[in-house]
Amino acid sequence: MKRKILAIFCAVSLAAGLLSGCGQSGSTGEGNGKSEGSSPPEAGSGSETGGAGSGTEDGSIPGETTGGAKEEVVVTMPVTSEPESGFDPAYGWGAGEHVHEPLIQSTLVVTNKELQIENDLATEYGVSDDGMTWTVKIRDDVQFTDGEPLTAADVAFTYNNCKEKSSVNDFTMLESAAALDDTTVEFKMTKPYAIWPYTMAIVGIVPEHAYDANYGQHPIGSGRYIMKQWDRGQQVIFEANPDYYGEAPKIKKVTVLFMEEDAALAAAMAGQVDVAHTAASYSDQAIDGYSLFRVDTVDNRGFNLPCIQPEEKDGITYGNAFTSDVNVRRAINIGIDRQEMIDNVLNGYGTAAYSVCDKMPWYNPAAEVAYDPEGAKKLLDEAGWTKGPDGIREKDGVRAAFTLMFSSSDSVRQALAEDTANQLKELGIEVTTEGVGWDVAYDRAQSEPLVWGWGAHSPMELYNIYHTLADSGIGQAGYSPYANETVDQYMDQALESSSLEESYELWQKAQWDGTAGITQEGDIPWIWLCNVDHLYFVRDGLTVAGQKIHPHGHGWSIVNNVDQWSWE
Amino acid sequence: MRKLNRRQRVLLGLGFSAAFLIVVCIWGSLGTEAARATDFSRKNIPPCLQYPFGTDWLGRDMLVRTVKGLSISILIGITAAAVSAVIALLLGIASATMGKAVDSVISFVIDLIMGVPHILLLILISVAMGKGLKGVIVGVAVTHWPSLARLIRAEVLQLKEMPYIKIAGKLGKSRWYIAVKHMLPHLLPQFIVGLVLLFPHAILHESSITFLGFGLSTEQPAIGIVLSEAMKYLVTGKWWLALFPGLFLVVTVVLFYVMGQSLRKLLDPGSVHQ
Repeated sequence: MKRKILAIFCAVSLAAGLLSGCGQSGSTGEGNGKSEGSSPPEAGSGSETGGAGSGTEDGSIPGETTGGAKEEVVVTMPVTSEPESGFDPAYGWGAGEHVHEPLIQSTLVVTNKELQIENDLATEYGVSDDGMTWTVKIRDDVQFTDGEPLTAADVAFTYNNCKEKSSVNDFTMLESAAALDDTTVEFKMTKPYAIWPYTMAIVGIVPEHAYDANYGQHPIGSGRYIMKQWDRGQQVIFEANPDYYGEAPKIKKVTVLFMEEDAALAAAMAGQVDVAHTAASYSDQAIDGYSLFRVDTVDNRGFNLPCIQPEEKDGITYGNAFTSDVNVRRAINIGIDRQEMIDNVLNGYGTAAYSVCDKMPWYNPAAEVAYDPEGAKKLLDEAGWTKGPDGIREKDGVRAAFTLMFSSSDSVRQALAEDTANQLKELGIEVTTEGVGWDVAYDRAQSEPLVWGWGAHSPMELYNIYHTLADSGIGQAGYSPYANETVDQYMDQALESSSLEESYELWQKAQWDGTAGITQEGDIPWIWLCNVDHLYFVRDGLTVAGQKIHPHGHGWSIVNNVDQWSWE
Repeated sequence: MRKLNRRQRVLLGLGFSAAFLIVVCIWGSLGTEAARATDFSRKNIPPCLQYPFGTDWLGRDMLVRTVKGLSISILIGITAAAVSAVIALLLGIASATMGKAVDSVISFVIDLIMGVPHILLLILISVAMGKGLKGVIVGVAVTHWPSLARLIRAEVLQLKEMPYIKIAGKLGKSRWYIAVKHMLPHLLPQFIVGLVLLFPHAILHESSITFLGFGLSTEQPAIGIVLSEAMKYLVTGKWWLALFPGLFLVVTVVLFYVMGQSLRKLLDPGSVHQ
């Protein structure tokens, strides 16, 4: 008997050991990978393993790790931020799903903190009266880091190349680019596109003479930094470009480490990194020598509500019987307590969102609504949605219920979905949550709400979400069935307008012009919940320069202005 | 306390494990709603009297989630193991009785499947079936039969040479009659024990592929999901999220094993002398 008890005990402890062993090996494995990755840059010149490890252990004092001359930073980023196809703008570097400044290359123009356009390579630019031709004059004193001058031909080549190859960003509005002389580029458009400068702000100029299929692995540019080393799956090291035409970068060396949030937290706790990205769920952690740094974002979360009755085409269902009632959508919009959601899910690190473009120059504040659960119930009652015996509303046999999907690997979206379900239950709406993969999410979102994340430095996002696409699906808006001619017209006009300022006004009208739009009083086809603050643990003594509002994507935006950071 | 004899101890072990597993199954099936209910007013509470297993970052009661997760695992384990055992029985008997060619084909398949790591095949099958419940059950079912099939085949081969089987054949009894009347009773104990011992495997594999993200989807409170979610919060010191579900997964697996061993002792008293 004793032997058996002993045996069972051994089995239990062995199995527990196996389990916890499995668990830990994951994180320590990662930890090791990272510390190997992070240590060499800190140790300066480096043996990969032993020396570096000990260096970080007793070298957690910032002064020592950076070797006195504090001109280096080590920054962590999510694993998904590593550009799969390399640092090539044609494959999404800077100009992809998550826009940011390309660092290695320079762009024609840049966006400033207010998201207005300023010149960089360009000295002046203008558009023809019909909006079909953009002419840009560029500086003549810029060199690539290989010593060759940057000419208008390189600019034209870059844009034509992007147009030809880019699958992650939209270049369909560009017909072709041509160099008129060494410093003048002309863009022929396929349609008027007033917000073209926002595209010019994210496309890094590549050298025509040094561009081949492997450019992404060995990028050459004229930007503030040179890519020195890229260890796939681990880190990228940038060094300052000594011949940069602008103000010389204060930070001479930037090391970017790719890791998950928990590994980044562990790295910060071990004192191995200077800036560690983190999530709201870790924000209550106090780390010695670090403080929490929050950045305002337009990194919003919201969900779509299909606006039409269900119909089927090519095996995909479009529309949803319950959410096709505009009163339902309005009730949901005012029936959600966004502040409660931010406090609970984001630990207070977020701001209420009422549109896809809060705080942007093209945002229409009319989108803002107050939390009004009674008003929401009244709307539903008046629209004929009456409560059944189980507390869930019904109308003409349609149950007030929908499935709210979220990307299964995203715990914040899951929490938002769960909270939405809890809150809508108060209104008598039954929400079931379901984690889905992106492989099926897009098709299913045509008939069921899905928690999305958006937010970009370009009004084009409004177009992508709300404008109808005549040639695809059932001729409704791309991601969730919705169509409104007035909204379409305003956006078409905005693209055709002659100046950015004029277009801002039209984008705002597309959201709400006093009688129609996509806000509470309008069709409200999407519900916006919150903008998620981007949080970082920053080592004390490091001053991270003022950030412009971050777009969607918790990655490269933080280092947009790494050249202006400084150590005390 | 009076000392129990061996048989009573075995029965006690069997009864206890069966009772535990049944309670978990029933409690879990009743607690579906509770296991998914989120309440932000009670998030991240360490174990206390009201929440013995604590709560997670969405304010979900970890005790209910653990039990629900175990019951999902057990149900998947039972279904998958049963399907697996039936495959094993059919193939094992076919292999032993239907001649050389069939035997070598089946033996080859057994070797092939045993040669590939289970988890790899499981992931492939589960993903190909579109993940979810169906994928996991099919995945576990079609990967776990070879060892049992091999056992049954050996047993049948041995039985075939037994004098009483040969005599029955000489007396003109049909193959079917011999299989059902003479062989099956002899195989049954082996089969049942093998079946029960498949459960723990099936459960562990279900949780591991779910943990790796190839199994059930995130909103299901499966034990693998609970554990993989807990991983993210271990670094912040929330040990209870992983400890209790992990421990109880191990306990469940051990109890199934105890059950299998007890059954073997009861059904096959000869094994005591081994």
